[in-house]
Parts: sequence; structure tokens; C-alpha cells
Amino acid sequence: MAQLRVNGSERTVTAADETPLLYVLRGELGVMTPKFGCGLAQCGACSVLVDGEEVRACVTPVGSLAGKEVTTVDGLPARWARQRGLSPAPALHPVQQAWIDEQVPQCGICQFGMMIKVTELLEANPRPTDADIKQALTTSGPSPHLCRCGSYAAILEGAHRAARLMAEGAAG
Amino acid sequence: MTAVAHQSDTIAIHGAQLSGLSRRGFLGVAGTMAAVLAIKGGPAAAAAGSAAPSATTAAGWIEIRADNTVLLRTGKCDFGQSSIYTAYRQIVAEELCVPLAAMTEVVSGDTDRTPDGGGTFGLLRNAQNLRKVAALLREAALELASRRLGVARAALSVRDGILSGGGKAITYGELVRGEALQLTIPLSGDLTMPLGLRVEANPPLKPVKDYTIIGQPVPNPSLPPKIAGETVWVGDVKLPGMLHARVIHPETLGSTLIEPGRLDRVAFPGAQLVRLGHLLAVASPDEWEAVQAAQAVAAGTRWSDWQGLPDQADLPDQIRRSVAAEAAPPREGRANAGDPAQVRGAREHRARYAMPFQKHAPISPMVSLADYRPDGSVTLHTHSQNPQHLRRMIALMLGTGEDRVVVRTYPGAGHYGRSNGGSAGSEDEAVLLSRALGRPVRVQWMRHDDMQWSTQSSAMVADIRIALGGDGRISAYEATHSGPGMQDDRLIGAVLAGLPTIAPPSATTTYGFQSSLLAITDTWIYGTGAPLREIGKGCRHIGQQQSPHGAGLRNHSMRTPLQFQQNCPREIAITEAALLAGKDPLQFRLDHVPDPRFQALLIRLRDESGWTSRPSPAPGARATGQRVMRGQGLALMLRDNGYWACAAMVAVTPATGEVKVERITIVADVGIVINPLQLRRQIQAGCLMGVSQALFEEVPFDRGKVTATDWASYPILTMADMPELKVVIADNPGVTTYGQGSESANALAAPAIAGAVLDATGKPVRRIPLRPDLVLAALRA
Repeated sequence: MAQLRVNGSERTVTAADETPLLYVLRGELGVMTPKFGCGLAQCGACSVLVDGEEVRACVTPVGSLAGKEVTTVDGLPARWARQRGLSPAPALHPVQQAWIDEQVPQCGICQFGMMIKVTELLEANPRPTDADIKQALTTSGPSPHLCRCGSYAAILEGAHRAARLMAEGAAG
Repeated sequence: MTAVAHQSDTIAIHGAQLSGLSRRGFLGVAGTMAAVLAIKGGPAAAAAGSAAPSATTAAGWIEIRADNTVLLRTGKCDFGQSSIYTAYRQIVAEELCVPLAAMTEVVSGDTDRTPDGGGTFGLLRNAQNLRKVAALLREAALELASRRLGVARAALSVRDGILSGGGKAITYGELVRGEALQLTIPLSGDLTMPLGLRVEANPPLKPVKDYTIIGQPVPNPSLPPKIAGETVWVGDVKLPGMLHARVIHPETLGSTLIEPGRLDRVAFPGAQLVRLGHLLAVASPDEWEAVQAAQAVAAGTRWSDWQGLPDQADLPDQIRRSVAAEAAPPREGRANAGDPAQVRGAREHRARYAMPFQKHAPISPMVSLADYRPDGSVTLHTHSQNPQHLRRMIALMLGTGEDRVVVRTYPGAGHYGRSNGGSAGSEDEAVLLSRALGRPVRVQWMRHDDMQWSTQSSAMVADIRIALGGDGRISAYEATHSGPGMQDDRLIGAVLAGLPTIAPPSATTTYGFQSSLLAITDTWIYGTGAPLREIGKGCRHIGQQQSPHGAGLRNHSMRTPLQFQQNCPREIAITEAALLAGKDPLQFRLDHVPDPRFQALLIRLRDESGWTSRPSPAPGARATGQRVMRGQGLALMLRDNGYWACAAMVAVTPATGEVKVERITIVADVGIVINPLQLRRQIQAGCLMGVSQALFEEVPFDRGKVTATDWASYPILTMADMPELKVVIADNPGVTTYGQGSESANALAAPAIAGAVLDATGKPVRRIPLRPDLVLAALRA
């Protein structure tokens, strides 16, 4: 039984400690934006932030997260509001807004992980180059973030727009 | 509610019937005018006002409501390209002459709530149905307005949702308020066949020159809720009391079950083991318990051995032997003329080409939920491109009536054609497990299920001969394309469980694309002067006859099905013929394409791509050494009235066989562009998926099974491999047809890249993918 913070709320989890976070989020806690892709940390569809760092929920035992802060796409607007002292929180994080402005997704199933990874990047590097973005989405984590539809060109444009929106302090 | 006395008052509208007139004042302020369907003998007959709604009942395509909003229903589904939410709304709004904002609701893909059926593909071609229905509704509204306003029909026109003339005006909403109007439209076709139903009326269509909504960069309204996390994807559906199931498929494609593994009830107290013929499943209220218990049971399960697949290295020859042995009648290309075999060229190019099996490889594996109830009815929740045919196959499997089955669809991972015949996997298994367990059941395929037990894009080989005359022009062209038939829509769970399915692919199967014959689908574009013969020789799917289940490596259409496998060898061969002729491969094509749209496209491609006009190979081209060689290549495709050209610039390291795609330029002339914003995104994405197919993708298999189980064993393009990408949408306002969207973008990359490798090294690569080991083998040949 673990205690963790999920999108700003304290949650007590009854699942066994070795249960992967993804099954806890989707099954027990009803947090549905992290998607099941491979169960092998090979695609990034299930990515979440743990204390600001991108991890793969499908292979992360929930017991390892006691006392830590888990953020999914659902929690990005509140995270942005807290970072910038905005009240009330905007409806969307700038990364989400940029993804709509640039019409990034095709099917969209991979985009929750993409937005998490780009949020992690932009929190550390507010003005990334193309190479920085490609590096973040390919070699920086346990595997590349895969998009089967091939939306990579749109993702690149989305990430740059998100950086501009964050610099302007704007959100949706 | 409809008063019988009033039903006889109808008006004929260009072959449709408008009824429900004279009811003004009988109802409150609500009201609609709905397009309903009428087809004799078909299941949709129930749609036109049956007292007992069945699973096939749908109110119709389009409803205009008293508040001036419009709802449209389509049996097509969104697979990420947004066309049903963007292009379809634009097409209907344009014909109705209402603002796009009036198109407030799209109901899609539910068998009990949508009217037309058929597969989700060729969306803009299929949009002609909706376009006609919208035009019929507009014409009906003009008739009504003429009566209501007392103004001659000829004096009336529609703009921004207002019908006006003779100094008077009325909105659509005012026309239908308090009414229950029905416009009954004659149809042909079959709900469950690939092309679905077809509107048999020919109303006047709005002139293209008057378009104001088509051509606008309309954003996709399904994105904001997806990105905000509000959308319920198929994997997010939760049914009360449901169990999570994991299936255990046989060890090989032909294994039979000897003995199920033991389910440890101490370790997995909530889990249950179910056997359905040669299919096993473990179900539990807890998903993670189901995953672990299924892994444990699978490890202890004994299957028979089976080795009925050919050696992968022998696949091309096996295909040639199979088509010879089955000797099905070859299918002729539509442009065939003369006898090229009689023509001897001054120079001749002869070569063999091989296209691999490739996976659709959705990022999330298939997931479906079913609720089978004690009365024998079932509701299936899934992500399908053809829910009506899926419904029919589920009913066949259960031995029940189609009216007992409802299929509801949700957003899911794109799978690029895999379910255009209904099934992509897991749907039937959810239904069978719900029936067996008496509870709603959710079946989530794991990554290895999706890699090893789904269908795949078919392998194909081509034998091509091109004769060149003394003038360096093509004097004869002969191609034999050989391979297993395009698709197998059978439900694989039903096959393994030994339950009824549609007939396996053969030379005589009649459903849709379920066949062992091979059609020529790539349209010939290089002129009519020289003798031409293209034939397709088909065979049963690889391993189909050897497997005790009658199902081996099952094929299914993917993006440009068959056309990719035929166009790619043809375009590589044309590039090789240009080399033989000593011509620039772009100019060589320009010299042969008679269609001015292709001529304009090639000139545009030359300008936009930075093409260097010179013969191949590039000066200094080398097939050995560490030094990086650069080259250029191109490819053309004509598909569904869309004209496509692509140039690739590559860097090849001969010593390693590594190919890096540095730049891709695509120029598309699709005629009327419905939505340039969405089209651009579709082309960019399709092109990158095509680069992935070109460089990385081949389904590996051994004598019994697909050996790819994950993304390490079936790698796809990553963002780091992305080339610089330039998309040019050539505006062609003189063309009055809607060309198709992104599919062709997928197909162009492989032959363009192969042509560029030939240019860089002087060596042809006649096998896809252009993976280092295969490129190296070609460079050393």
C-alpha cells in the first residue's frame, strides 16, 4: 500500500507495491491519459512525470513512488498554474494549447506521452533547438517516443510553439 | 406520432420523396428535417420508420434541426485523419449553404446509430453520398420555402442558412420548426460490403466556383477534448462488473492445444482460465492479475509443433511457386494493349523485385469490450473501420441474427486499413469470453499478440521487362506481379475456437476483398504508344493451406494496398530504364507521361526539390568505401484522382549499407482541396510512415510464426531519423473532383529512396526495406 501525490492530490493505493503505476492510474485511480502501448518501456505512450522527470508508467512499480509527485497530462494545467502562480488554473498547459494550435496529432494515442516528454524538456530548456527536441524524444529516455502515424514534423512545430507560449506566459 | 392522413402528402425531390408535410402546428417548437433511407430488401429498410427499432435502424444521414444546427451521421470512423470531422462537415455545410459552425454534431461508426455501412477508406470518394444527401435536403428546403413564402422556386436562393427571394426570407430552422419532415432517398448497395450503401439520386450540386467553405483550413474539433484528456478512447471504456482478460494464442500459427498450463489459484485468487478450442484466456476483475496469470499459464501450456511456413529467405521463390501451382486465372491491367513479348528493344531492362510483409503496428495493441447478455444479444465496444461487417461476422460466429448484435466504436490507435473489413483483432474474443463468463469482458491484446496474431500488409514480387527503342523511349513494358491475395477478414478468435466464419480467401470467395486473386491496382501513367502488359497472379495466403487452422500469415490492406507493392517495383524499374537510356530519371518520366497534370507536377517537383537535371548515376558514384555518397531519386503515383510526385535526397555509406534520408519533397495535385491544413498534416505524417516502411520494416518469421514481438524486433522510424520534409499542395482549381488525402504519401518514399540509392552508388536495390544488411548485399551484387 503506497501513498503518492497524483496531479496534486494525495492518493492511497491498495494495489501491491510491485504493480506497475500504469495499471494503478488507469484501474484504481481512474487517471486515463497515460495509454498502454507496449508494457516494455519501448514506446512512451504511458509516460508520466515523477517529481518532474519522465518515466514509463508501464514498468514503474507503484511501491517505488511513495511520497513522490506523479503528473499526467490531466495534471499539466494545475502544474503550470503552480509554477507561474496563476489563479485560477488555465484550462490547458501551454504544451496542450500548442498541440491544438498546431493540429499536431493524427490518431493521437502517442501524444499524451509526447506532451509529457516535451513538458519535461521545456521546464529544463525553455528554448530548445530542433536537435534538442529530437534528442529528448529519441535518446534521452529508456526508448524513443514512437508515433506510428508519423506526426514527428508536427510534434517539432508543436514543441517550438509551446516554447513560445511558455515564454509569453500564455496558456489556454 | 405521425398522422397517417398526412403521410400521403409528398413532394418528389430529384428522385427522393419529401414527406411529413402539413403537420405545422401539431407539435411544439421542436422539429427536424431528416434524410432517411429507403432500400428494398436490405437491412436498412427498417430505417424508414419501423415501429420496432433493430440494431440496424438509423435515423438517416443528416438532420436539420429547428435551432439551425445540423447533425450528420456516418458509418465511417475517424482513424486520426479527421476527415469525418473536418472534410465531411465542410462538404455538407457547403451543399446546404449553411455556416460551418452550424455543423455541430457528427455521429459515427455505431451500427445502431449510423446509416450507411461500408469500410472506412476512400473517404472523399465516399463523401459523394453525403454531398448528394445534403444537396437533396437543400432542394427540398427550397421547395418548402417556395410554398411557405409564396415565392416562385426559381426566384429563391440559399446563403448562410437563409433561404430568400422576392423580398422574403426564412431560415432552415424556421422551415422545420414544429415539423417532422422526412426526405426518403433511394439507395443501392449492401450495408456490410466494403462500399456500403450508395445514394441513387442525382440532385444538382453546388458549382465549385461558388465554394466558400470547402478549401478553408478548418481545425479538427475532435482534438481539444482529446488533448484535454476528456475523450473516452476504446481502451478507457469501463463496463459495470467487467472482467479484464488476456488471451493466450497458440505457440505457432499452426499449433494445436495439447494441454493448458495450470492456473495457480493461490498466486492469482481472482483469476479464471477459459478454453475456447485452441484459444486460451485468463480473466480477472484486476487487470494486472490477469496479465500476470496469463503469463504464468502461457509458460506452462503445451502446444503442438508446426513448421508450415517457408524459409523467409525463400519467400520470393515460394510465392512464384505458389502462384504457378495454384494457376488461378491472372488478372489483367486495365491499360493492357498489344503484345510486348513480341517487341525486342535496342536495350532491355529485366529485373526481379521483392516487397516484404509489413505490420500495421498500431501504437496501442487492439482492445475491445463485449457485453453478452442472457437473452443472447451482445454489445461490442471497439475501434473499427467497418462496424457493420464486424457485426455481421460476430452474428455468424454466434449463430444468431444480425439484429442481436450492436457494435459501438470509439477513438483508438490508428491501424491504417487493418479493420476495413471489420476486424483488427480482439473483438470476437471479447464476445466469446463475455458469453463464457456471463460478465462484460475487456480483452486487451498485448504487444506480442498484436505483432504475432494480427494481419499484415502482403508480400509481393514483381518480374519486370522494359524494352527501349533506339530513341531511348519505352517500346514495350511487361510486368508480372505475384503474391497472396489482399486480405483475410476472418475473425481469428473464431477460427481458433472452431466457430463459423466467412469463407477463407480463395479464387472463388465473394466477400469484398477476401480473395486469393491478385488485381493490378497501380494505374499505368506512362502513355499508350508502346505495347503494355501488366498481370497479377495470386495465391492463397502463406501457410494458409498448411496450418490446421487454415490461417497462416494473413494479409490485410494497409494504406495503399497492393498499389504500394506494385507501384514501388514499377517506379524503381522506370528509374533503372532511365539509367539505361542515359536520361535524367525526372526528364525520362516527363518524356513519357501524356497527362498534363503529371507534366505540371514533375516540373513543379523539379523546382521545389532542388533536383539536379542529369542522368543517373551521380558523377563519382561508388558502391564501396567509407565515403558518404549522395543521390537523388523520385517516384510518381496516381490514386483516386490524386496526382502525386516525390523526390528523395539520400546519403549512403557504401561500406555499411546505411541509408540516411536527408530531404523529401512531395508535390500533390489532388484537384479540389477540401482542407489544406488537415491535408498538409496528413501528407507529412503519411510520408514519414512511408519513410519508416522504406527503411526499416519487414515482418520477420521462422517456419512457424512471426518472430517480431515488440518494437525492438519490429523497429519503426524515430524522430531522429526524420528527414527535412517539404510538402507542396499544387492548387488546381480547374479540376472539379475531390482527390484522396494522405495514403499516396505513404507509398512514394520507398521507390524514391531506392532511386536515390541507385543514383548515389550506381547499384540498384530491388528489395524493400533499404535496411543496411539488404543494401549492402545489393551493393556487393
